[in-house]
Amino acid sequence: MGGIEAVVSVNRADLAADLTGPAIPYDEMLTADGGVHPHYAALDARLATLTPEELAERQRTQERFFLLQGITFTVYGAESSTERIIPSDILPRIIPGAEWARVEAGLVQRLKALNMFLADIYSEQQILLDGVVPRELVLQAPSYRREMQNLYVPHKAYANVCGSDLIRQPNGEFAVLEDNLRVPSGVSYMLANREASRRVFPGTFRSAGVRAIDRYPDLLLSTLKSMAGNWRPNPQVVVLTPGVYNSAYYEHAYLARLMGAPLVEGRDLVVHDNMVYMRTTTGLRRIDVIYRRVDDDFIDPLTFRRDSSLGAAGLFNAYRAGNVMICNAPGTGVADDKAVYAYVPEIIRYYLNEDAILPNIETFLCREPAQLSHVLANLDKLVVKAVGASGGYGMLVGPHSTKAEQAEFADALTANPENYIAQPTIQLSTAPCLIDSAVEPRHVDLRPFILCGEKIVVTPGALTRVALRKGSLVVNSSQGGGSKDTWVLSETKGDAR
Amino acid sequence: MMLARVADSLYWIGRYVERAEHMCRLSDVMLNATLDRSEAATQVARIALHAVGDRNPAKALAPYQSALALTLDRSDRGSIFSSIAHARENARQVRDQITTETWERLNLIYLRMNNPGARKAFNDGSQLFLHDIIADLHLFKGAGDATMSHGEGWSFLQLGMYLERAQLIGSLLEVVFGERRRRRALADHFALTSVLRMSCALEPYLRVYTAEVQPRFILNFLMLDEDFPRSIRFCTHQIETHLAAITRHAGLSGNAGPERLAGRLKARLHFADMDELEAQGASAFLKTVLDECWDIHLSLYDAFVAYPLEDRLPA
Repeated sequence: MGGIEAVVSVNRADLAADLTGPAIPYDEMLTADGGVHPHYAALDARLATLTPEELAERQRTQERFFLLQGITFTVYGAESSTERIIPSDILPRIIPGAEWARVEAGLVQRLKALNMFLADIYSEQQILLDGVVPRELVLQAPSYRREMQNLYVPHKAYANVCGSDLIRQPNGEFAVLEDNLRVPSGVSYMLANREASRRVFPGTFRSAGVRAIDRYPDLLLSTLKSMAGNWRPNPQVVVLTPGVYNSAYYEHAYLARLMGAPLVEGRDLVVHDNMVYMRTTTGLRRIDVIYRRVDDDFIDPLTFRRDSSLGAAGLFNAYRAGNVMICNAPGTGVADDKAVYAYVPEIIRYYLNEDAILPNIETFLCREPAQLSHVLANLDKLVVKAVGASGGYGMLVGPHSTKAEQAEFADALTANPENYIAQPTIQLSTAPCLIDSAVEPRHVDLRPFILCGEKIVVTPGALTRVALRKGSLVVNSSQGGGSKDTWVLSETKGDAR
Repeated sequence: MMLARVADSLYWIGRYVERAEHMCRLSDVMLNATLDRSEAATQVARIALHAVGDRNPAKALAPYQSALALTLDRSDRGSIFSSIAHARENARQVRDQITTETWERLNLIYLRMNNPGARKAFNDGSQLFLHDIIADLHLFKGAGDATMSHGEGWSFLQLGMYLERAQLIGSLLEVVFGERRRRRALADHFALTSVLRMSCALEPYLRVYTAEVQPRFILNFLMLDEDFPRSIRFCTHQIETHLAAITRHAGLSGNAGPERLAGRLKARLHFADMDELEAQGASAFLKTVLDECWDIHLSLYDAFVAYPLEDRLPA
């Protein structure tokens, strides 16, 4: 055993100096004066007893666990394909109970309002008539589905599974960066990270009072069943996947397995007389609820994209006839559109007569001439995003961009202003991560998962995504991001004493 | 009740896993022959290659290269690597149907064979490499047996395994005892024991027939033994049992399509007579067995997997 030098210590001096940004980021573990937040004290004490080798060994064990379980994504090359694991950091991110209670209340409020918004948009459109949200902004959004107009959706629950992206601002307050109401993924990583971190820090885990998240599959199943209403006893639920080549295939299979629901592909489905069936060894079997992990565009070649073979022909008509439920409903994307996002606080006030508990990030809509000229004048300071894109693509990060890139975006903005929004450069909080056997701060965000059927349920946990490259703010797994477990402590534990 | 596509995948996992295991034994016997430069060694390599459908005489003279290719060649659909990769790809597609314990075993074999260091590991200790794959395949089967529900999906997996096994052993016997061999019977002791090794039958054979290794006994043992799990008779018994289970799960009446074929094949082996067989020559009989295995495969598809939709739509 080495001397004191060999023991891991959190590098406190580096923190502020290394990360340049508009403000010093909030650190999940360390306080501004270099102390440790009380809810991190136990983990800090445990880390001080481990050598870098021991930590590295635990990291390797965790990676092996992911590899063995096949929790991988595939990178396809010309000759052969390789499978990579999504990097998973062993140090948990810890959130005290009281703080979580506020996040939870904010998420419930937000999803409630957004589902009311969807119900309104696809029926009376009162909010548009009242001029709270611009009519053309909604009706011209590519994610708006005219086909959904005046359709009955049980409990008015359009978005049944939601994964919102939150960030913690420099002042320590959580804010919503994005709502994902289409086919949010990542929940399997939340569950797998938990399974792994219980093995890595069993003692710390036990004594911390971490709230359990393992009921997620069971809650998902009852949410889906609640969408079937009670017209058929014991509804048949299936998970619809685009197939084994989809990067989230592991998650589709994982959820199907844990829910005990068949994992079907488009080619397994047959629509006959507006009923949906799957081909089984004993003939055709009727399906009541489809948890689809296929985008709107691909679920039915007769209604949406004709060249798609991922869905089933006639599926949407069966849905219109009320013979099958599709979850999430088609057309929910209009409520997580990047331009509509700017109006969410207004939407919450309009339907619930409440102020938003979780704030938005300040957003400039380039469609408004005054805001456009502000954006054009400040391209070097703002982050510009294309409205339709996701996954960190089609983005200009002002402070890290060249003059040429800025000029290119200025042209695109002027030509097509309604296609873009801009936000100030946001500062993500940092959390301690294990990088090459040393504990260093890295930027993180937070993706909790919210279910909405008959009622709204927030799982007390989340996927914490990590930007593994030093100083990077991009947490997407397609761009060098990783993830880590998120411990939400029960209310009595871990709060400031 | 299970998805037709899922049943299909489980069936093919069974087939590919069985094929991989058999190929491992053939490769291993070929490597064994490299230790010995006799005529018999070349003959053994030739038998092994014929059994996998490769009649190129040059390859029998380079058994090490042939074994390496048979093990790791990615471009060859019949190689052990390809079989394992296909089995695992199928398993990935029905990941929700097999237990984590079972999946882990198969995934582990695949990761080892797909590793860039696999070729070096083979060169460093080829027989150990093959031995480990066979041992891991046994662990896969054992984990499946111990953790999976022995329901419909299990029966499809087993059905694939035993149909493949019956066909592989049948093809091997055809190479050794078939038409081409009638004039010049295999007599060399080394070659004969190698045939037993290829079927993993040496030790069980010795317990029945002692060290007296004779072609007639080998044929009798690999074809008609009641208890040896790699004899064709044993396989047909399993095929019939699992088909009956599937038909029962499906709520279909017996004696339909595949079940009738399986029952007939089982009876054929059950009541076969060795003297009669020898008089007619084993070749015709083996051909019938292989043809009927193929018919079972086809009627299985007609009945459970690729049935015409018109027949099954609700009235």
